[in-house]
Amino acid sequence: MDKEKKKRSHLVRGVLVALSLVTAWHIFASFLWIAPSSPLREIPTQKVLSSYMIPFFGQSWSVFAPEPINGSYTLKVRAVVDDGSGPVETEWVDATAVEYSMIQNNLFPPRAGIQAGEVASQHKAEFDGLTADHQVIAGLNYFEGDWEARLEEKMSSYGDAALVEEYMVTEHMATAYATQVARAVWGEDVQRVQYEISRQNVIPFADHHDPEAQQPPVQIIATGWRGLIVNPGQSDEAFADVFLRVYEGMQ
Amino acid sequence: MATQTNFGTHVKRFFVALGSLLGGGIASLFRGAGRLISTGYTIAENWLIDTKKATYGLAITRILLGLSAVGLLVSNWRTRLYSFGSGSLWNGEGLEAKSDFPQIWLFSAFHRAMPNDLAYTALYLLLLALAIAFTLGWRTRIVHPIFLVLWISFIEANDMLGDQGDNMYRIALFFMLFANCGMRWSLDARRREKKFGPTTNESPTTQWGQVQNIAHNLVLVILTAQVSFVYISGALYKAGGDPWSGGYAVYNPLMTDRFGTWPWLSEIATAWGPLVTIATWGSIIMQLAFPFMLLTRPTRVIGLASILTFHIAIAVLMGLPWFSLAMIAIDSIFVTDRTWQNMATGLRQRVRASAEEAREKVPA
Repeated sequence: MDKEKKKRSHLVRGVLVALSLVTAWHIFASFLWIAPSSPLREIPTQKVLSSYMIPFFGQSWSVFAPEPINGSYTLKVRAVVDDGSGPVETEWVDATAVEYSMIQNNLFPPRAGIQAGEVASQHKAEFDGLTADHQVIAGLNYFEGDWEARLEEKMSSYGDAALVEEYMVTEHMATAYATQVARAVWGEDVQRVQYEISRQNVIPFADHHDPEAQQPPVQIIATGWRGLIVNPGQSDEAFADVFLRVYEGMQ
Repeated sequence: MATQTNFGTHVKRFFVALGSLLGGGIASLFRGAGRLISTGYTIAENWLIDTKKATYGLAITRILLGLSAVGLLVSNWRTRLYSFGSGSLWNGEGLEAKSDFPQIWLFSAFHRAMPNDLAYTALYLLLLALAIAFTLGWRTRIVHPIFLVLWISFIEANDMLGDQGDNMYRIALFFMLFANCGMRWSLDARRREKKFGPTTNESPTTQWGQVQNIAHNLVLVILTAQVSFVYISGALYKAGGDPWSGGYAVYNPLMTDRFGTWPWLSEIATAWGPLVTIATWGSIIMQLAFPFMLLTRPTRVIGLASILTFHIAIAVLMGLPWFSLAMIAIDSIFVTDRTWQNMATGLRQRVRASAEEAREKVPA
């Protein structure tokens, strides 16, 4: 270590001190942000801290903690199709299986493979937050006209409007995704869709050597039939190109 | 009679002696502390100003971060419109972005281009070209900031498909703007060498050169703190959970569809219980110990080797190669310049020796 004091210009020493102070502040702020919320955050105040950290230095490292994920999500889609000879109900298509096949046994998986799983997990989290009354209504069919407004209104009439509003965001997203899947698989004659989201936990570690061990029961979220949703600018082709190629490859 | 000192004088002398002892002690304590602070300051000042530290390590960080971007872009190429472009607007982020970045003009290019396949693809290819240029260290000072802005714009346009690795990547890439990450192993360095001779890392004579060194070295301090916080908090957050303290936490995600991307490998990796516990507790202990292991050379080698193993396991078993590569990239600053140089020399000699051998075995 070089302990010899050297001649330096005042300007350089000044810059050194200034930059070191900025560094010290950044490190202190990052420390507070990454650590669990604590009274120490009162020093810069929470407001100062978050206006410095967000968005540029935003991060969270409680990944897989305190408990890692221990279940798999499934999102299935079916539709009512009318090709002129009358409405027909299709079989279920497992969209998560289609997408996960893109990332499984692949050293360089595309992010495309996790979309259906993300939709399912976000939607289930919102659905589970609803009251039993709300959940019953979500299970009913809503597909004609401005069904989203009617569904929201009906659910809100049982209270907790804020909760319902949040739920409707994932309802919209899940239906828009299901619409794309249905159109990709069954074409333009799709009239309405239904999606089924479920989660199944893995066999507990303690039982994983037991050949008789059964996976814990599937938790299914039942929602009713829905009218189609296509967001502005959404390209059916760009979606179908990939989804159909992978889906047909699995058949 | 004069030799007879009275009791009062003894007491006075005692207190004077005590006072002098304490006073001297305190003064010497302050002097010592002052000297310690002053020496500490001088060491820190010289460390920050005289030379750039970890120049090869930071070059490796640049190369690996660049490769991680290239890899991510290439492996998402076929599905780019499906997951980020016009095929992905069902998720609502094309209309109203979840991340704050697309709402900032500077970072909104990809968000704006989402509905237009041609524009999106053009931007995507431009970003790929910038990532390659950054990896190679071509005009780094110009390429780096443009790459950073476009990269954030790309990755933040779709929040749903992002992970914490994206945040780490953004933070590291941003701070590297203030360091000289194109100084070694870059096309820039080669060009400079041809023009001005070999790159030196001696104490700069200009004030601007000294300021550049300060910025460069402080970036290393920030990255070290960042990495340490990430690992330590990761370990502490985990330590609070039953599956982690129970020694089987890594089993759970490996059994799911999402994070068990090689089902047969997951089976093998979790077949022997004790190994699951070693991996589970090992991750916590290693993450917690990592910053402290950096302090001495032998422990640093062990620390870096285990963190490398940890990241490669995540990359392969959990299907997160680009996240892992970015973390490995940042950890590269902890390998000393001398080690990187030795590795490079060793590699060069081995390549030369094998070429020689090939020439001998297969004569013209």
